[in-house]
Amino acid sequence: MFDIYLLEAAINGVLLGGVLALLALGLNLVFGVIDVVWICYAELIMMGMYGMFYLVSVFHVPFLIAAVLSIALVAMLGVLLHLLVIAPLLNAAPINQLLATGGVLAFLQALATVMFGIDFRNLGIRMPVIEVSDMYISYARLLAFGTALAGMVGVYLFLSRTYTGTAIRAIAQDRQIMPLMGVDSRRIYLITSAIGGGLAGLAACLLVLQYDVHPFIGLTFGPITFMICVLGGLGNMIGGFVAAFVFAEIISIGGLYMDLEWGYVFAFVFFIVMMFIRPRGLLARNP
Amino acid sequence: MLRRGLARLVAALALIVAAFIAMQLPPAMAQEKKIKIGVVFDLTGPFAGGGSELHNLGVKIMIDYVNAHGGVEGYKIDPIYADAQSKPDVAINEAVRLIEQEKVDMLLGFFSSAECVPTAARVEQYKKFMWITTCIASPVLENRHLRYVFRAQPYGTQWGLASTAMLTAYAKEAFGKDPKDLRVAIIHEDGAYGVDVARGNAEGAAKGGLNVVLNEGYSVTSPDLSSLVTKLKRARPDVILHTGYNPDISLFLRQAREGGLRFQALIGHGAGYTDYNKLKASAGNDVNYFMDVDPISIWDVKPEALQPGLAALTKMVGEEYKKAKPDTVMLSAHVGMAASNTYLFLSQVLPRAIKTYGGIDAEALRKAALDVDVPEGGTLLGFGAKFEPEDSVMAGQNTRAYPVVVQYVDDKAYVVWPKALQQREPVLKLPDSSPYAAK
Repeated sequence: MFDIYLLEAAINGVLLGGVLALLALGLNLVFGVIDVVWICYAELIMMGMYGMFYLVSVFHVPFLIAAVLSIALVAMLGVLLHLLVIAPLLNAAPINQLLATGGVLAFLQALATVMFGIDFRNLGIRMPVIEVSDMYISYARLLAFGTALAGMVGVYLFLSRTYTGTAIRAIAQDRQIMPLMGVDSRRIYLITSAIGGGLAGLAACLLVLQYDVHPFIGLTFGPITFMICVLGGLGNMIGGFVAAFVFAEIISIGGLYMDLEWGYVFAFVFFIVMMFIRPRGLLARNP
Repeated sequence: MLRRGLARLVAALALIVAAFIAMQLPPAMAQEKKIKIGVVFDLTGPFAGGGSELHNLGVKIMIDYVNAHGGVEGYKIDPIYADAQSKPDVAINEAVRLIEQEKVDMLLGFFSSAECVPTAARVEQYKKFMWITTCIASPVLENRHLRYVFRAQPYGTQWGLASTAMLTAYAKEAFGKDPKDLRVAIIHEDGAYGVDVARGNAEGAAKGGLNVVLNEGYSVTSPDLSSLVTKLKRARPDVILHTGYNPDISLFLRQAREGGLRFQALIGHGAGYTDYNKLKASAGNDVNYFMDVDPISIWDVKPEALQPGLAALTKMVGEEYKKAKPDTVMLSAHVGMAASNTYLFLSQVLPRAIKTYGGIDAEALRKAALDVDVPEGGTLLGFGAKFEPEDSVMAGQNTRAYPVVVQYVDDKAYVVWPKALQQREPVLKLPDSSPYAAK
């Protein structure tokens, strides 16, 4: 028998997958090129959300202009993160790099608490809802889903059709050789950090329509984004994209038929099993 | 002769100066004795904005007031404020730090039940006195027979029982249904607090014969509650009983509205639902006619129902609260709750420990707490105080505390349950103007 609630849960899963895919995109790009995991990625998004809040709600900047400014702000934070924290540790042990970006996570949380206070803030914008039969589809989520797709295509085209994109891919394939062939790896890292930050900023513009912002909002997204990247294969953008939808569907449909928490239990069990079966990620080719 | 006269004059002057200095000494310096109290709340992290910071403010207002009025029986209160950062491990570490390094005489506060449960056991191991002003989960005390942990607040199950008792009483009148036909959904955060309140909801529903169509927990940091919304739509509840903190409440309300969830009434159970200012900032006018279970706001207690002097204290707390947070729309019950429960300790337990039991050590404070016998109307919250002895299942629990149900109507909160304290009849069907109203 046709179950409209199952269909609604499946659609909600796809829309949640869009949000998660968007979150994973920037993190994967940075890891793929620079080989460093930005543990503080969700906190960069949080800063972008605050940027949106202040620009739109306090300074009454039109939404689209505020979005461009926020994306630029977080892109700049990405560049600063690279210059101040990552660059000095490029040749350090991976654990040191992780700890350093973990430190930035704590720093950004504390900074946001001091600067913005502990209150929950939101734009107060109510997006319309699309009603089909008895199903309701959130426009804000649909927007995030569409943007995730567009972002994915945009990043793909950039990487495959531009000289800088080709250089980025080349660096990602071999960090040692490319500088010998005349590629300025420092410049490529900075561009990649700016794009990674910009993608975090883009996510912030969309998330601020769905979530209240507070200094610890990163805790909601950080761990799950990281798991999706690992599940898709760290650095593999298409893998991350697919993993986001698989994860979201397990959570959404699992949560419909059992206790909500069981949806997450299944998602995490799936993650653990896949780590055994395909430790290099869902779409990784066997060596 | 002249020299002797001069010496006398100098001596007299010295005496006068000494007397003058003694008169000018502030009470704090004049008192040598002090009681060091470690005050633990979440000042950062999600619980801070969920109400914990307001509780900290309530405690601070009351301690500052008591100190400004000479302290307690010659003792100055020396508070050391600590931040549990909304993390149970940090709450335990801070409690231990306060005891071992700051050498506090006792601990006071604690917002989150998830922090309270392990911290109470740890503090008990140190044989230190712990006065809980806020966290409500039954497991903090239930079957643990703690000697030094006392709670002025009601306990979680009472929250769940209050809302279901009201629904049972009003089922026919408000919904035109027998209780067995009233469809009730219980949703809650899955920590100690939410689980305990939901237990009370389930118990109360069973007792009243209500039809529970869904009973489900979720993680407070969940990024998505749309599955829960879909399940609720499938279960078609008349009433939703919700227990949560703040980020999860606003996420649920937003996704419920976008997901087309309709119901006739929503009753929250403290925490995020009690801070109306933040609730409204998050969900706007959608929260009009929502209800909330918590101890009554001290500003809603009728002054004539209180013992003499308490109404003036209530006024003072409100004035200090507004000074600290001038942009407040509605005085939050959180601040009053903490202020009242702190004052209960400072006015009933501490003086008794000093006068009757000779000091401020944990044993003296414990004995004094067990001697407390405050009748109804004896606290700012209106209820009385009497604590369960050590051999009781809920040792350390205030048996005379109870929550009430309030309803938010046009930016005002009215007590709607129990009947004895009712300020107006509850509106148990959301008006058509509400986006959640079942048409």
